Amino acid sequence: MNEMKPSVSSGRKLSGVWIIPLVAAVIGLWMVIHTAMTEGPSITIDFKTAEGLEAGKTKVRILSHEIGLVEDVVLKADVSGVTATVKLDPEAKPLLREDTQFWVVRARVGAGGVSGLGTLLSGAYIEMAPGAAAEGRKAYVALEAPPLTAVGAPGLRLTLFSDRAGSVSIGNAVLFHGYRVGRVEAATFNSDRQQVRYDIFIDAPFHELIHSATRFWDISGIDFDASATGIQLNTGSMETVLLGGLSFGTPPGVAAGEPVADGTEFTLYGSYNAILENPYEYGTHYVVSFRQSLRGLAPGAPVEYRGIQVGRVERILLKELSGMGMGADRTDVPIPVLIYLEPGRLQIPDSEDSVSLLRTNIEQSVRDGMRATLQTGNLLTGRQLISFDFYPEQAAAELGQFEQYTTVPTIDTGLAQLQTQVSELFKKLNALPLEETVAGTNRAVAKLDGALVSLTAALDSANAMLSSTDTTELSGELVASLQKLRVVLDGFSQNAELYKSLNASLRSLDATLDNTRNLTRQLSDKPNSLLLPARTEPDPIPRANRQ
Amino acid sequence: MNQPATAAERGLASCHLCMKLASEDSHRCPRCGTRLHLRKTASIQRTLALLVTAAILYAPANILPIMVTDQLGQPIESTILGGVILLMQLGSIPIAAIIFIASVLVPLSKLLIMFYLCWSVSYGPPVNQRQRTVLYRITEFIGKWSMLDVFVVAILVALVQLGDLLVIRPGGAALAFAGVVMVTILAAESFDPRLMWDKGQSNNEAEQQ
Repeated sequence: MNEMKPSVSSGRKLSGVWIIPLVAAVIGLWMVIHTAMTEGPSITIDFKTAEGLEAGKTKVRILSHEIGLVEDVVLKADVSGVTATVKLDPEAKPLLREDTQFWVVRARVGAGGVSGLGTLLSGAYIEMAPGAAAEGRKAYVALEAPPLTAVGAPGLRLTLFSDRAGSVSIGNAVLFHGYRVGRVEAATFNSDRQQVRYDIFIDAPFHELIHSATRFWDISGIDFDASATGIQLNTGSMETVLLGGLSFGTPPGVAAGEPVADGTEFTLYGSYNAILENPYEYGTHYVVSFRQSLRGLAPGAPVEYRGIQVGRVERILLKELSGMGMGADRTDVPIPVLIYLEPGRLQIPDSEDSVSLLRTNIEQSVRDGMRATLQTGNLLTGRQLISFDFYPEQAAAELGQFEQYTTVPTIDTGLAQLQTQVSELFKKLNALPLEETVAGTNRAVAKLDGALVSLTAALDSANAMLSSTDTTELSGELVASLQKLRVVLDGFSQNAELYKSLNASLRSLDATLDNTRNLTRQLSDKPNSLLLPARTEPDPIPRANRQ
Repeated sequence: MNQPATAAERGLASCHLCMKLASEDSHRCPRCGTRLHLRKTASIQRTLALLVTAAILYAPANILPIMVTDQLGQPIESTILGGVILLMQLGSIPIAAIIFIASVLVPLSKLLIMFYLCWSVSYGPPVNQRQRTVLYRITEFIGKWSMLDVFVVAILVALVQLGDLLVIRPGGAALAFAGVVMVTILAAESFDPRLMWDKGQSNNEAEQQ
């Protein structure tokens, strides 16, 4: 029996059941590795306030799709804000760019609308706008408010500067012919320029409407204008009346400019009328100094080039002049006048390039003899203007410098020039050899004197000849002849016999002619009366009517 | 003290299924045909393997969220320990204690006790026989309650389905936790308590000689 018994080995064999923990361990390990491999990036975001931020709760979303979670919120060391550590999903990694933006979405109620109502119940969350720049940033600063324009949206970002804030605020519309083409993204006060700065965004494709000659103006509220021509009321859309807005366009008569780049600066005018008054955007300052009287030269006076207005007088730089400390030599200091030249007036594109072109041209022209002159524009009012023209007789000159402005050389003209010319004439007259001339004249006059003496003698002899006896006898005979003529004429006078008989003869001739007239009439009536006796009609006898 | 002879000493093995004592030499139970073994085969190894599995599963069961509450579309994930801490902060100490005992203390102590039993059966000092028995009874007792957490989640998921307003979903830890509970049950099942007493028997015998 003992041989039949199988030999039993009690050697420890590994049971197959160990597969189970092995599989579990492998699955667990795989999960750990997978999690580690697919772990998303961790970033930090700085916030001004931790309002609505809760570690482990606040989500990060993109297009409302959850993409991360706030893991930790810590106060900054200088208590200037909080830093949130955010764990993002791996899918968010390529979206983290240099210009990626984060902001907290909360319920916001404003004049422009209500947004984020869902966060009232669910709590605030962090919205993320993916960027387009280079990857790799790990620390961000959150925006104060949601960006009005998505990152990378096609369009044009511009900066406007205005002297007064008006009623334009963030989110206001930018209109073109009343159609909404953009919006105001930011409004800040620039203390350096003492101006309000607006950042606006023009959506594509309307950004092509913007060029260097474009002007922007405020259309907020109602523009009310009462003048002699009547009452004018201009309003934009209801939205702009209530909330404010901007519009832009090109002033009439201004040539279209060149396309502008992102971030170009423009001036924001208070109204459309302000643009009509200042249709040109770009210009450059020059200084012209005159030694003559500036009476009649007021700020705003035209600056012309051969009669075409190219700019205007800005002001007279008296302050700068006195600031320079003229010192002892106060006499005959030329008075500088600041002028503003606008290339747009010459129908060339109103742009920065045109300004530099103008400056180059002026520099060259001055070398060729161009000068500024002060001229009288209106003789009645004495208004003066500044004119540029070429004076080839002038020596070549260069542009100068006064304070920060470039100066253009000037020459004196007008009345001052006339004065100069007159004085030059007198100088020439002075220089004439008058002494010699007078001496020569004296000599000539002396000779003339002699000639006159001989002339007197000649006249005397003529006189003597006239008063001689021959001439007296001649007149006595003439008198005798005239007396005889009178006697002859007396014979024909009224009382003379001859006159009387002549008169009687004429009267009888008259009577004869009368008779002849009767005869002639009779003959014309009855031409045969010369031959036949005249037949007389019996006198008519009245009688009664026959019954 | 003379102890009665054990079945094993007489060459008899108990059937796993019908408990009939049959000769050790016969391979199958003469009554029900089940394979006969003197002791459960590879009991310690199986128990250990399942315990290791349970230990591995215990890690995700505590790290991963056991329950996800979608409140107005905002998912809130809660782990077991996180929930306990939250309840404590809210002042519900009794509920926190129940959850802590049911979800952490019970499965963990069961695991550790089982590990200890496995070790002590093979290498432990024989004097602790009675202590081992007490520990074994504890595992038997507390094992009944170890599914509590899974039940809570299962009931909540089934009950709280209020559309977009509030939805409760089971998290990854629920599955892991269920795995822990089941594997520990299987481990307890595969452990043959007679092994404890076998050793004590031999010791007792040695003492008697």
